[in-house]
Amino acid sequence: MIRGLTRGGLAMACAALLAACGSQRAVVTSPGPAAVTVPLGTSLVTAQGTWAIAVMGGSAASNNNFWQLFVRPAGASRWSLVTPEGAADNGGLVAAGASTSLVVGFRPSQNLTYSPLATSADTGKNWTPGLLYADLADSPGALAISPSGRTLALLQDGTIQTAPTAAAASAGQWTPLTTRKALAASAPGRSCGLTGVVAVSFGPNKDPMAAGSCTRPGVAGVFTDAGGTWRSAGLVLPGKDAVQVLGLTATTGGNVALLATGNSLLAAWWNGTRWTVSAPVTASTVRALGFGADGSAWLLLGNGHAETIGGAGGSWQALLSVPPGTVTLAPQGTATLAPGSSAAAEGYDALAVSGSKLTVWQLHQGAWAKVQLITVPIVYGSSS
Amino acid sequence: MPGMNSGLNPADPTLVAAFRSALFHQGAIALIAIVFLWLIWATARTWRVAPPGASGGAPGADTAEARGRRLLRIGFGLLWIFDGILQAQPKMAGGLASQVIEPIAASSPTWVQRLVNWGGTAWSYHPIQAGAASVWIQVGIGAWLIVASRGFWSRLAGVASVGWGLIVWVFGESFGGIFAPGLSLLTGAPGAVLVYAVAGALIALPEGAWRGPRLGRLLLAGLGLFFLGMALLQAWPGRGFWQGTVDGKPGTLSGMVQSMSGTPQPHFLSSLLSAFGSFGASNGFAVNLVVVIALAALGAIFLTGQPRLVRYAVAFGIVFCLADWVLVQDLGFLGGFGTDPNSMIPMALLFSAGYLALAPAAQEATVPQEATVAEEAKVAEEAAGLAAAGVAGASGTAAGNGAISNGSTAGDGGTATGDGPSESDRPTAWGRRLRPQALGAALATARARSVAAVAALVVILIGAAPMASAAANRTADPILALAIAGNSTVLNLPAPTFSLTDQNGQTVSLASLRGKVVLMTFLDPVCSTDCPLIAQEFKQTGQLLSAQAKNVELVAVVANPTYRSTVFTRAFDRQEGLATVPNWLYLTGSLSQLSAVWQHYGITVENLPAGAMSAHNDLAVVIDPSGQIRQEVPADPGPGTSSTKSSFSVLLSQYARQALGRS
Repeated sequence: MIRGLTRGGLAMACAALLAACGSQRAVVTSPGPAAVTVPLGTSLVTAQGTWAIAVMGGSAASNNNFWQLFVRPAGASRWSLVTPEGAADNGGLVAAGASTSLVVGFRPSQNLTYSPLATSADTGKNWTPGLLYADLADSPGALAISPSGRTLALLQDGTIQTAPTAAAASAGQWTPLTTRKALAASAPGRSCGLTGVVAVSFGPNKDPMAAGSCTRPGVAGVFTDAGGTWRSAGLVLPGKDAVQVLGLTATTGGNVALLATGNSLLAAWWNGTRWTVSAPVTASTVRALGFGADGSAWLLLGNGHAETIGGAGGSWQALLSVPPGTVTLAPQGTATLAPGSSAAAEGYDALAVSGSKLTVWQLHQGAWAKVQLITVPIVYGSSS
Repeated sequence: MPGMNSGLNPADPTLVAAFRSALFHQGAIALIAIVFLWLIWATARTWRVAPPGASGGAPGADTAEARGRRLLRIGFGLLWIFDGILQAQPKMAGGLASQVIEPIAASSPTWVQRLVNWGGTAWSYHPIQAGAASVWIQVGIGAWLIVASRGFWSRLAGVASVGWGLIVWVFGESFGGIFAPGLSLLTGAPGAVLVYAVAGALIALPEGAWRGPRLGRLLLAGLGLFFLGMALLQAWPGRGFWQGTVDGKPGTLSGMVQSMSGTPQPHFLSSLLSAFGSFGASNGFAVNLVVVIALAALGAIFLTGQPRLVRYAVAFGIVFCLADWVLVQDLGFLGGFGTDPNSMIPMALLFSAGYLALAPAAQEATVPQEATVAEEAKVAEEAAGLAAAGVAGASGTAAGNGAISNGSTAGDGGTATGDGPSESDRPTAWGRRLRPQALGAALATARARSVAAVAALVVILIGAAPMASAAANRTADPILALAIAGNSTVLNLPAPTFSLTDQNGQTVSLASLRGKVVLMTFLDPVCSTDCPLIAQEFKQTGQLLSAQAKNVELVAVVANPTYRSTVFTRAFDRQEGLATVPNWLYLTGSLSQLSAVWQHYGITVENLPAGAMSAHNDLAVVIDPSGQIRQEVPADPGPGTSSTKSSFSVLLSQYARQALGRS
């Protein structure tokens, strides 16, 4: 009997061992906040000129990816490297422009947990350091600056902070404006089912604006802060799909937003009271997006396709397939293009990256031509 | 897994040299201790006059050890010694945690990783002591098993084998990887060192258990069930063993074989493995079928317990194990980080011992049972040195007196009989045992093998004691910091003066810090790599100094030409938890003020283009209370793991204490 019990015990032990061996390691899933990610590579236009942000160098895994800032001054034809010095930018660069200045935020990486800032009023020749003691959001629309210098910053956790002036921003004097939770819990937030905030801007009345993703079909999450109360900007799209705002910017006449719903991408213009929505363009992958100063917008899609639109009332124009390695488009100059004009399709530079080399392409008579090559002196290993 | 990996290069010359030095010194101590022990024993034997009739005893009445037990004892003794020698490879101290333990644990569940990390952290904090301890403990256990062939001390050696085996199985092998996917007997399941522990448990059994075939049957039955289970596991679908290739990539077994062929080893071995890996990739089904059938057959035959069948199964099993050992496990110990020859050799020893135990040999002499018991008691008391030679219990009968195992000669004075105390006066009281006369008598009559067993235990203690002491210290060994950054430079120069602004806007000059030791470094407030780590090291240094911290000022000077205002120093302090440290100062000033300080202290600071952070050399200086620079310390923090940060903190606190001691 003892022998049988012993063997039985051994059998049970082996069975337990087999059960343990046969089981797969549990896959741990940790639910996180709804993520709305738009690539950081972009371009923007200010009175000083056209700016472009692109990641160059090596792999992010080895901290050899370095984000670069380029500028083509107004009236000039050539681009220059003007990345602010003094801080590592492996985490990414976010920029926002007002009429006379450009503010750039360094997203923190590795052991740094807050975001150095840099502001320039002379097309990047000189920079004034600043500080945002927080983790800037991983979105090209995470910063906004009004003509008066009031600055908005969207943080990675969805909090929006504000500094009353550019000087206050440089001095690190930021105060919270709202949080993602508070915005989602507000009346307009609940109406749209807000899940994440992706961009900040200023409205026609210079009121802070925020935009993000909603779950309620057709409702676009664009909000304005009027005296401490958040209101919906009232953008509603037809259809049964949820709407995600990809970008939001201020123009002289109002705001422009780029939206994704289902497999469609749209542009929408707001004059403070009314929205004008473009026809959709079908696409599933967005590699980069950006805006011109005149209400124009562009999309860099998968497979080398690109679409541009001149402004409210315009239609999407497909660009010739962009050169390989193109990471962002940049509008040519600040000229206003007539809606529907074929010239709109040719008014863009394509910036392509290969390692430490940036190639600038321009469309001439229906073909891309290489017009400039910049070798960036990347210091590989400096962040290791 | 934070903490377990020191992040250092295992071949770092400083670590390797320190490891070799520790092994040499501990080996010398062990040798001296062994020689000393031998001298005492020899002297005691020479001086002590043997009592009349001491040489009595039943000549020739000797009980041979069970063959199965002897095979296990000597086989695993040699394996432990071999493993100990492997632990002495140069890169082991600095690399075992990162190159062996961590990769094994990485594929195990999180709770296993946490448990392993808890133990592995001790290794990374004290790699030299841990590495040396592993050498001497394993060599000592192996020697102990070999020399102590019978009795209490032999069984105790088995217990030691169990204990250390289980420790290694849990913390070194992550439970033999049984909770990780891809488990297979071919690759080492359930962990080689677990087999060592099982063997140790068998050795620890009373010798009576080895007399009959019952133990052999039980052992083989257990192994039979195990092999059947492994066969089932090997045959289980969906685990990749039936496919030679999966989606164009090698299957589970052939993939492992081909990766093993890439291990640094003699070319002929790697070629052999590569060829077998290719064969397995092309014929995965057939190979696995053979394996499954072989394991099932072995298991089934072992379960029968029939000696004739088992004999053939053992022969086949040994061939199977050797083939797997060469073709799959690649001998187990190559590549510079091999800790043992993997599981096939131990497994073969185990089932061979089971067979031998199943069929006890005819040459085992028959001895009166009471003599065997008395003999065990006699050996135990001799080796412990705690009983008078004339113990009545051991000398109660002539057969008992003569029943001395281990083949000891009369010259050993192995028997003490007759004139000793009568059985009623048996000295069971510890007081009587510890009398010098009793101790001397016990020592003089101790057998050579008993003394050798004690010597083996001394070797173990010489390895274990330093590690136990180090493990009790929650800070890391400074050797890590020295390996990363190099030795400091001893100086005796006046520290250049400065007058800068602290994080609160107050002016601070070096003169105002006179009377305190100043530990000073240079930090970039928006640095994303080294500077936060150095800041943490300084913070920990302050904590280590405890009461002496009030006499030490921890000072950092900004090392960034652009991001240098107090806005940034305060932000950095807040990020690093330094804002509330009372003796912490983060100084800045105008660019010209900072440039002067950088120049005077040999710090080069410059902005780099294209998104790189400001570049500056990592340096710390120790300034004594009179204002003299006493040490210039390279402050490169290296990987910045918890062990390296702790190591730097210990080093800096030592320098600070030295500087305080000079004042």
